[in-house]
Amino acid sequence: MPDTLFRSTNGLPGLGALGADDISAMSQSAGEPGWLTEQRLAAWTFFAQALPPVWRRTDLTQLQPETIAPLSGIQGTSILADDAVTRQGVVMMPLLAATKSHEALVRQYLGKAIDPMSHKFSALRAALWQDGMLLYVPRGVEVAAPLRVTYQLADGSRAIFPYSLVILEAHAQLNLIEEYTSPDLDQPALAGPTTEIFVGPGSHIRYASVQTWGQGIHHLGSQMIVLDRDAAGEWVSLSLGGKVQHIEAESRMQGDGSAINWLGATFANQQQHLLTAPWLRHIGSNTNSLMDFKTVVSGEGYSVFDGMIKIEHESRATSTRLEEHAIHLTPKARSDSIPGLKIDTNDVAKAGHASTSGQIEDEHLFYMQSRGMSQEEARRLIVMGFFDPALQALPADDLRERLTALIEAKI
Amino acid sequence: MSNDLIIKQLRVRIGEKEILKGVDLTVQQGTIHAIMGPNGSGKSTLAYSIAGHPGYEVTDGEIWYKGQNVLELDVDERSKLGLFLAFQYPVSIPGLTVNNFLRSAINAHRAEEGKDPKETAMSVAEFRKLLREHMRQLEMSEDFARRYLNDGFSGGEKKRLEILQMAMLKPSMAVMDETDSGLDIDALKIVANGVNALMNPGMGVLVITHYQRLLNYIKPDVVSIMMEGRVVRSGGPELALALEEKGYDWIREEVTTHA
Repeated sequence: MPDTLFRSTNGLPGLGALGADDISAMSQSAGEPGWLTEQRLAAWTFFAQALPPVWRRTDLTQLQPETIAPLSGIQGTSILADDAVTRQGVVMMPLLAATKSHEALVRQYLGKAIDPMSHKFSALRAALWQDGMLLYVPRGVEVAAPLRVTYQLADGSRAIFPYSLVILEAHAQLNLIEEYTSPDLDQPALAGPTTEIFVGPGSHIRYASVQTWGQGIHHLGSQMIVLDRDAAGEWVSLSLGGKVQHIEAESRMQGDGSAINWLGATFANQQQHLLTAPWLRHIGSNTNSLMDFKTVVSGEGYSVFDGMIKIEHESRATSTRLEEHAIHLTPKARSDSIPGLKIDTNDVAKAGHASTSGQIEDEHLFYMQSRGMSQEEARRLIVMGFFDPALQALPADDLRERLTALIEAKI
Repeated sequence: MSNDLIIKQLRVRIGEKEILKGVDLTVQQGTIHAIMGPNGSGKSTLAYSIAGHPGYEVTDGEIWYKGQNVLELDVDERSKLGLFLAFQYPVSIPGLTVNNFLRSAINAHRAEEGKDPKETAMSVAEFRKLLREHMRQLEMSEDFARRYLNDGFSGGEKKRLEILQMAMLKPSMAVMDETDSGLDIDALKIVANGVNALMNPGMGVLVITHYQRLLNYIKPDVVSIMMEGRVVRSGGPELALALEEKGYDWIREEVTTHA
């Protein structure tokens, strides 16, 4: 499928040299449907004209677009489907292929949750995505065992824009693990993932989003779960790797009676800058949300929690709670917490948020040392305990073990 | 080498304030030694100082146990030497299960220098069996071990957990800091039975209490009275009964008169 341009570089020209003609040529040579080519071009035009968003807490100065070449074709998508569920009508396949085999479905949903024109980088992602997955669960089908998709990046100076499109019809169940992983890279690289998840009426999703990139990667991503009437989600977000992370995430409770339970764990050490901006958006009535994010920073690590509860004017009897707690292990580590609450309705059942940050308490260390543990062991147990709710919420033992080891290594 | 806990002329301050003003006390191996005294007499400070709380500065005096100068040991080393403090106010650590906490404590005690901690660690099966036995004795339900450490525990549950830790770690010298506070009579009996079951000729216990009530269930061999940062009187169990009857004032008067 790729023409000579892509074969020679295993990617497109550097982001600085790329033009609309390249986008068009790539799309057409891959035989993509016309509407998709148009979408890509419109997004590219927006990207080329838009100023970068003002992100005061995300440092992109080390990212030099001209030195980074986007990958073309499917280069880093690994999909672990399950024959038993595909026999039930579940579709799990590369998104690029699905634009042909399931064109109407993809066209109906792609870009409908996350607006490609939100800002410069969302447009870039919409223009250049190649890796990706369509996951479709038909009405009434229940997938209990976790399905897994992993996006990988092998080399520096590359960009990858993986796109997960997940659709649950009514009264379906899904358990999904989405991972981002790479070795440590010498040269900076860019990851721009998009995940759109549509949960149909009465459906239930468990979604684990796990970021364990190696060093050198800038992750500028966006994720959204849209919950229809009486749909429920259990979302666990882990951010552990990479150089710089800026994730915009949203649970959109669109339908009446929808609910989300959202756990997060972020650990920034060395010189990592990890930002997450999770939004709870209540649109439907009688919607329920609970957010509990934990942050640990050490070394010169920096993390930002920019969370928001947004209750729209049409929502009635919302119940919501947002909590974020941070532990600083070293004096030079920093964290910012900016929890917000915007209520545009007079009818709210319950809305609250709490946020704390500080060092491990001396009394906790003393108590544990008085039982014979070294200070090091005491700190390890306290940090692991802090992350325990998120780790326990992971739906696979092997993943939990791997992430536990990864966190312990960071302590 | 003595297995008595020997405290000589211990002076301790918190910040600028001197709390212990020369405490002399010996807890003999094989005995239960009760310390009583009014609020603010320095009982809890003594307990924390033995355990090595960094907020308590020892300005003078000595603590010896098993031939070791305890004041030179880190907090965790004191625990490994066999000293144990049952806290009056145990901390809660959300996210850390009782089970994981206890296993780490036990394995820290079993660790040996130069050996892989995995080699010396107690097997999961053995640990579970031990934990279940002791929990049964303290009338704790099995789900207790899966709960987060002291997180949302009642006063009685916290104190029971202190005794459970003591049972698991098998210290040779236990200091119990107002373990009776906040307990109803049933919980008090369970806790006292737990302590009595652990008592053996190789073990010493220092029971710090405000009230005589606990001493009906944990019978002391020796009773000492602290006032204003010193041990002012020691005697047999009858001393505790006299306090219960007459309060502290008569002792205060006697001490002042003789001073």
